[in-house]
Parts: sequence; C-alpha cells; structure tokens
Amino acid sequence: MAGSGAAEGQDPRAYKRIIMTVQRLIQSDPRITISGGFILLVCFSALAAPWLAPYPFDLQDTQSILKGPGPQHWMGTDRLGRDLFSRLLYGARMSMAVGIFTAAFAVLFGTIYGAVSGYIGGKTDNISMRFVDLVYSLPDLLLIILITVTIGRGVLGIFLALSLVSWVTVARIVRGEVLRLREFSYVEAARAIGAPHSRILFVHILPNTLGVLIVTLTFRIPAAILAESTLSFIGLGITPPFASWGSMANEGWSAMKFYPHLILFPSLILFLTIAAFNVLGDALRDTLDPEHRMR
Amino acid sequence: MNRSIIIGAVIAGLALAMLFIRPDMRAPNTSDERVFRMTLSNEPPTLDWNLATDSVSFTVLINLMEGLTEYDEALRPRPAAARSWEVSPDGRVYRFHLSEDARWSDGKPVTAGDFEYSWKRLLNPKTAAEYAYFLYDIVGAEDYNTGKVHDPESVGVRALNDRTLEVRLRKPIVFFPSITTFMVTFPLRRDVVEKFGERWTEPGTIVTNGPFVLDEWRHEYKLTLRPNPYYNGPRPALGTVVMFIVNESTTALTLYETGDLEMAHLPPEAIAAYLGKPEYITAPLLRGYYYGFNVEKPPFTDPRLRRAFSMAIDRREFPAILKRGEIPSSFWIPPGMPYHNPAIGPPFDPKAARTLLAEAGYPSGLGFPTVTAAFNTGPENSLIAENLQAQWKRNLGLDVRLDNQEWKVYLQGLQTDPPPLFRLGWGADYPDPDNFMNLFTSTSGNNRTRWKNARYDELIRSAAADPDPARRQAAYDEAQRILLETDAAIMPLFVATQNWLVKPYVRGLRINALELLDLKNVHLERP
Amino acid sequence: MIRFVVQRLAWGVPVLWLVATVTFGLMHLVPGGPFDQEKRLPPEIKANIDAKYHLDQPVLTQYLFYMNDLLHGDLGPSYKYLGRSVNDIIRDAFPVSMQLGLWAVFISVVGGGGAGGGAAARPRSWTDHAGMFLATAGISLPSFVLGTFLIMIFSYRLHLFPAALWEGWRYGVLPAVTLALLPAAYIARLTRSSMLEVLHKDFIRTARAKGLAEPRVLLKHALKNSITPVVSFLGPLTATLVTGSFVVEFIFSVPGMGRYFITAVTNRDYPLIMGVTLVYAVLIVVANIVVDLVYTWIDPRMRIKDH
Repeated sequence: MAGSGAAEGQDPRAYKRIIMTVQRLIQSDPRITISGGFILLVCFSALAAPWLAPYPFDLQDTQSILKGPGPQHWMGTDRLGRDLFSRLLYGARMSMAVGIFTAAFAVLFGTIYGAVSGYIGGKTDNISMRFVDLVYSLPDLLLIILITVTIGRGVLGIFLALSLVSWVTVARIVRGEVLRLREFSYVEAARAIGAPHSRILFVHILPNTLGVLIVTLTFRIPAAILAESTLSFIGLGITPPFASWGSMANEGWSAMKFYPHLILFPSLILFLTIAAFNVLGDALRDTLDPEHRMR
Repeated sequence: MNRSIIIGAVIAGLALAMLFIRPDMRAPNTSDERVFRMTLSNEPPTLDWNLATDSVSFTVLINLMEGLTEYDEALRPRPAAARSWEVSPDGRVYRFHLSEDARWSDGKPVTAGDFEYSWKRLLNPKTAAEYAYFLYDIVGAEDYNTGKVHDPESVGVRALNDRTLEVRLRKPIVFFPSITTFMVTFPLRRDVVEKFGERWTEPGTIVTNGPFVLDEWRHEYKLTLRPNPYYNGPRPALGTVVMFIVNESTTALTLYETGDLEMAHLPPEAIAAYLGKPEYITAPLLRGYYYGFNVEKPPFTDPRLRRAFSMAIDRREFPAILKRGEIPSSFWIPPGMPYHNPAIGPPFDPKAARTLLAEAGYPSGLGFPTVTAAFNTGPENSLIAENLQAQWKRNLGLDVRLDNQEWKVYLQGLQTDPPPLFRLGWGADYPDPDNFMNLFTSTSGNNRTRWKNARYDELIRSAAADPDPARRQAAYDEAQRILLETDAAIMPLFVATQNWLVKPYVRGLRINALELLDLKNVHLERP
Repeated sequence: MIRFVVQRLAWGVPVLWLVATVTFGLMHLVPGGPFDQEKRLPPEIKANIDAKYHLDQPVLTQYLFYMNDLLHGDLGPSYKYLGRSVNDIIRDAFPVSMQLGLWAVFISVVGGGGAGGGAAARPRSWTDHAGMFLATAGISLPSFVLGTFLIMIFSYRLHLFPAALWEGWRYGVLPAVTLALLPAAYIARLTRSSMLEVLHKDFIRTARAKGLAEPRVLLKHALKNSITPVVSFLGPLTATLVTGSFVVEFIFSVPGMGRYFITAVTNRDYPLIMGVTLVYAVLIVVANIVVDLVYTWIDPRMRIKDH
C-alpha cells in the first residue's frame, strides 16, 4: 500500500520509537519474555519436529494401540498405535502455519479494507460494506469444499479456505473504529491543515485502533486454529495421515471418558499456545498504547 | 436518563422473552413403566415407504408397517400380511393370500388392492422413487417406470380379489418373497395419499398396518410410537416407543449412562469398557467393506498386481484397530447369508504377493508408479486407509498415496472417473447373495471397477433362477473365485458389526443382521 | 432516521439477490448432486427424479424457476427430507436455535462485558488476571471439546443439568453456555482493551476531576465510549448465534437450524442450502442496520450524513 510507505517516509521517528519501546519493554515486562518465549519454542519445535520427534508421525505399531502415557510413548499412542507426542510435534506445524498465516492475512486485508471503506465513507462505504455482508452470508462450507476440491486439503487449501471467510469480521470492526475516530477533533485538525488522506489514515487514525487490532489479531490466531478443528469435526480437515492439533482434538474428544490422554495432551498444548498469544497480545497492547504506557 | 431506561427496557425485554419462549415440551416420561427410549442416528428422510431408501427410515417403518412377508430369526421370509403364497411351476407367477382380519390403524381392512396401488405408485415415473427398480423383475414394470409404456395396467401385479394378489415375473426369481419384506413394497392407502398429498406421512394423517402407530414426529428431534389398536397380532407390550434423533454416538452413550435411554449404539472407543458386561450386545451385519480396483487404469490392468495388493493385507489388523469385532474377510458373501463360504478369497501371503509383484515387472517394487487410494472422509475410513498404506509399504515396499474426498464429491468422481483404488461398502437390502453378487456384473450400475467377465455374469444370472441349493452354492463359489482370486477386481476387507448397549430389564429384543429393530415383542421388566 | 432505515433496507434487496445468485452458482459448481449415493441409481430412475425437480433443465432455467418461487415466498421442496418444504423445515428449526442463540447472546454480553469492564477497572489486579484467564479458556478449546467437558462436569458428575436433548429450560443451559463461551471471551477482551484506551482520555479525567463516583464514571462515560468495537462484533454475532451451531446442536442433540448449514451442503439439498443461507443473509442485513443505528446513538458525531 502506497500510503504506509509514505507514512514511514514522513515520520520515521514514530516507528523507531515503537521498536525501541518494544525492546525496552521486553526487558521490563516479564509477560512478553515468557509468552513470546513459549511461542518461539512452539515454532521451533514445529520446525525441528523431524529431529525432536522420537518416532515418525505415521509409524504404526498395531501391537500397542491406544496405550496410555508410559516410558516408551510419553503421551501414549493413538488408534493406529502412533506416538502421540511425535504427532503433536508435527501437528504444531500445521496448526501454527494455519493460525498465523490465516490471522495475518485476515488482519492485514481486513484492516486495509475496513479502514479505507470507513475513511472514505459515503457510497463507497455503503457498497463495500454490502459486499462484506455478501461474503459474510455465503455458506462457508460450499466455499471450503470448492476450494479443497480444486487445490486439495493441504495446508494451502485450508489456509485459503479459512482466510477467505475470516477477513470480513476484521473489516467490520476496523471500519467501525475508523468511523468513530475520523470525527475526532485531532483528525479534523489534521485535515484542516491539509494533511494528505493517507497520512491522516495511517498516522492519525490507524495507530489509535492498535489496541483493538492487537486483540483482533490474538483472537484470529486461535480462531483459525479452532476453525481448522471444526473442519476436522465436519470431516473436511487436513488429509490423513498428517495431523494438526485440531484434528487430534477431534480424534480424541469422543473418547474423553475412556482414553483421556487422546484429548488431554492436544487440549493442553492448544490452551497453552493460545494463552501465550493472548498474554503476548495484552502485554504488547499495554506497551504500545502511548497513554497507557505512562502508568 | 432516557437512554438508561431504554437499555434497561431492552435487557428486561430480553429476559422476559427468554421466560416466554421457553420450550414447552414434556419431559421424557420415565415414570411410565412401559416406555422404551432409543436413538436414531439421523432424521428419517421420509416415512413414505415407497420413497424411503435408508436404514433409519426402515427402522421406523418396520415397526409401523407390515408387508406381505417378514423375516424370521434366520432372515428367512415368513408370512406376515400374507398368510400364505404359492408359486406357479415355471416359477414366474406368485399368488399371495392375505389374512382375513388384517386392519389398518383406522380400522379399515388391508386389501390386495392396497398392495397393487402401492406397487404401481412405486413404479409410476412421477413418484420418482429411487428404489422402483426393486420390482423391475415384474412383467412390464421397467417399461412403465422408464416411461416406455404409460399404461399402469401393463404391469404384472393385480388384485384378483380383496384377499389375493397375483404377481407375474419376467423371469423366475427364487428369492421373490425376500423382496416383499422390503419397505418399498408395503401396502398403501390410495384415499390417504390422495387426500393429504405429500404430507400424508405426518402424525394424524398417516395410516399404517403394523404393530405401532406414529403418535408424534418432532422433526430432527424425536418420533413417538404407540401400539396400533387394530393390529392383527398380539398387541405390543410397550406402551410408548420414543426414538430420539441423536447424531453423535458419544451423546447417545452419555444419555444411556445417565438413564435417559433403554438402548444405544456403543461407539468403538467405549467398547473396551463394556466388554463382557451383560448389557453389551454385538452381532454381525450384512455389510461388506472393500477396496475396488479400476481395472482400466494402469498399473491395475494387470490382475497379478491386483492379487498382490490384496494378498499383502493382513486383515486381522482391522478388528484390532476398529475394535468392534469386525470380521476380517477376503470373501465377499458375508457370514449370515446363505451360500457364504469362508474358504474363498486370497490368503494373506506377503511372500507370494512380492513374487506376483516381481512377475508383473516390478521386482521389490522397483519402478512402480505412485498409485492413489481414494476414500471418502470419515474417521473409520481414515484409520483403514492409513493402515492399508502402512501395510503396502511394509509388505510390498510400495508407497501409496491417500486421497480423501467429501462424500458427494467422491461419489461424483467414482461415477465419472474411478480412481485406480477406491473404497466402498455394500449393505444388503435383502439377505440373498444375489444382492451382493449382482453388484459386479457387467450391467450393474454399482460396479465401478469397470471389470467385466462373461462367465461371472452367466453364473450370477443362472443362480438367481435356480431353485436347487447345491447348484446355487456351486455357482456362487465359482463366481466368488473369479471375482476375488483369479481376476481380483475387488479386495474385500471386513464385514461390519453392530454394537449395542441394552438395559438388562429389556426383554424380547431381537437383533438381526440387517440392523432392523423389531420392537413388537419387546417388554420391560424393571427391577 | 426512518429514511435511513428504509434506504438501508432497500440496499438489502440487491445484497440478498447477490447472495442468492452467488450461492446458487456455487452450489452447482460443487461436484456431486443430491441423488448421488452409495447405491447408484439406474439412469432411468435418476431421469425420473431429475424431471420431478427440474434438475434436467439448464442451470439458468433452474435459477429462473427458483427466483420465481422465491419471489412468491416459496423456498421449494427439500430434496433430502421428502414431502417437507424448506419453509416447513425452517419454521420448525429456527425458533429452537433462535431461543438458544438469544440465551447465548445474553450470556456472552453480560458475562463478557462484565468481565472485560471489571478487568479494565482494575488492570493487572487479580480480577483482571482471573477474568482474562477465563477469557483465554473460552477461546482456546474447540467447542466440541468444551461442550464435552461441560457435559462431563455438570451432568455426568454433578447431575446439575441434562447431558443432551431439548425438553425444557434446563436442557438449554449447557448448550447456551458452550455457544456463549467463545463470543464472551472475545467480548471480554475487546471491552477490556477498548475501555483501557478510553479511561485515559481527557473527558474521563475531567469526569473524575469533577468528583463523579467511580462506578458512574466507568459505567456511564467509559463503557459507553468503549463499546463501538463490541457493537460491530455483536451484530453479525447475533445473526450467527440465532441461526444455530452445527457442533453444539450435534453434541447436545438440539433440533435447531445450525445443523442444516452443514448437512444441507453435504447432502447437496439445493433448496435447503438456499433457504438457510437466505435466512442468515436477511439476519445479517438487519443486524448491520441495527449496528449502524446503535453507532449513531452511541456517538452522535458519527451522524448518518451521507445518505
């Protein structure tokens, strides 16, 4: 987007200041270190899964089906006698990739769309919001089946399918915020002194939506991870023999009473990871909010 | 402040709305000693028995209706609405004699005309019944159904009088009285259908002749059945049957355990916990699970490779994985069906399989192209496919790619361009091997393998018309050997089972291999 | 204001038409048809069925047939549930999911808003941490896992609520809570974040300086001014919740409408797909009009001036 380049060019100090603040607060706010560290650890384990996993993710041992946790299999085995710990490590790849990329796409595209629509207002806003209504109303499942039929149910297919249906939520929220902010006195002041629209939007308005944006981002990641698990529930999740945390939770939930390890470990890692994203989001928000920082 | 008042009013309104639009339903009546509560795995798509095709509808209908014949414990047809029947010496004409005091639930007598009407309605192209082809063996039926002839009188079914129904067949069929147990052939009242149109199957308008009547149908939620006061037979001991529609078997199990059901399907993950308990009932089903080869797609044009793939699978692993007591099968006619022969089918022999692979030009799998095994999405199908993939890797050294598709997408693919290896199942409509073996004849629309064998076709055709059991056995044995051993067009994997939990105070419940739950003899002996 | 509503409703018509048209196109693009099944039908019988439902006509003709019926308020027959019309199906199922959905909206707004507001009033206190922990729990597990946990705890162990079925208000509690947890968590986070921002604005300082009681500052000034993002979210959320959830309806055996968003598609029950999609679209359109009205009410500066 040309606008963001212009904003950077015109006010490099603002962004430099943010970076410095982050550096400073990583040292001062332990939440950032802990949650950020955990997320990095998960990402690292995902990338290093082939070296960390004690077994291949698809190695079946029909002699030890549905074994509970033990010295041979730390987290037990699944219905085909595959090592649950190894599958969780490989599953991290799928879940983190889908979560992060889908959320990033949704937030990036949704923010630009919503901000421009809300800022321009008038007929443009009306038409672009009716388009959002349209996308929102279309049956997700039709789109998802169509996409997965065309490009398959790998990471890419699921990412595309989920992205396509998730950016509209962000667009609506950002547009609401921009509608509110653009009438504030300092925005009107900027307009009065003849600041270009891109500068008003990206320097005066968008930074003020940061709190909401960060919450949205930290919410979209878990939402995408969970949406993938719902796809598994419907039977449209990732193609076997590959795994994701969501597909593992789906394989485990019905056996909660009988083989609790099947659901316990995927749930736990889901919970911890998503909690980490949220804590990180909160901490970042507190850090980056220019006024809140003073506290 | 005005706005606070508005907010308050909105909140209060919401709360009030919730009080008022509370569901007004009766709690399940547990105090009634004679109520039997069970589940259906989904909403019956229809209770119009001419149009019904699925086992859920059948489960409801078999308790509401009575056909000419019904099954005994061994799944042989026995008299029901027809008290007897006779066959002409050439095997082409059946005459069914109806019992004098059979009554509909509104008190009117059941007549041969009700059967004639039903069958002709089934065959009428305007009815668009999916299972019209069940009666294609009746003279003129196919021509009428396909619109070649427009006169229903040309169809060979006729009520000679109120008590006698005559059926003329275009070729001798020894198992015709099995077909008349099937729901699409149940009698139907012209006056009811014409009066109420498409909605005649709702409670209050539906008229049935079986042990129960439909009392309530809350769509997608539950059906309630009560005894039919006019039923021509011992009055059922149950006062009420409630069939809840519960899609998740895990939910059904929880409801069973909290005492809200008398009977429930047992999901596989719970079987270990209930094994050996008296409430646990398991029985085989007439349902085969197989992978077929598209014999027109290389490399499976070579029967040696098909045999190798089939022989490389240790089918004993399936019950270990699925945990429902599945019966490993390399035969096709399932146990529980006449002419079943467990000795048929390729054995598990990885060494022989590797030899065949080498003979076909791929020693140790060298140069073998990557083939794709396709299946429709589902937890069980995934487990089986993943296991097959591992076994082919282990026993043949071959990498097989898996491809799963959503059900309807998958079916479309099977129709237009079947994948080299594909999963399918087949459940019996009636317990005659013809229903299983006919599937792979060259004219069968359900034969997706594109495999054609004239000898096989001839064997199946002659066996259907042969009243001599020994000759039928020989014909089916030879046909199975062609299908599974020499030509290996399909590789059967296992025969499915049904697993139930039934409260110990439920008596008289019979479970048969067609998964039809006949509740008329059930009674409860609560402690 | 009435003019605004009328204009926006008029705008809804082309949106609905587009939704109908695009959905119609999409569903005919998706491979597989309503009468494809394991036991394949003989072609002659397939032809009878196709003729009955006009499926033998070109898609464009089918589309015109459908739009014509739609204009007369007829959503067509279901292909899967024979003898039932889509109007019947929606009439049976929608009240159930609406009821459950309203419960869930109520729980998520009161619970989420309360938790978020409370957390923002005392940032980094124990209330804050506890509230945010619960909010995290609400969004970190798939609803089928959460629902099963709730069943295990509240019906299996504590016998407080029924595990499933739909026989009275007690049966609605667990499914409503399961439905509400995710939006409640999100609302809590949005409220907290937005309120923290507002609490540092000048007018709050002024209000405090004037000696207004803290609860009044929080409720009247802060909450009202921080509610925009929640309202943007609440509109579509309500539309989504009252049309039901497949997962919740399946695990709690509730006869609502959410199931059809999935099963109508998997069955390729074309008229039912269209029916539920259009109901949802109507609700979305209406919800967004309400949202925009609420915007202007919250903040008169965002006056509706462009129409």
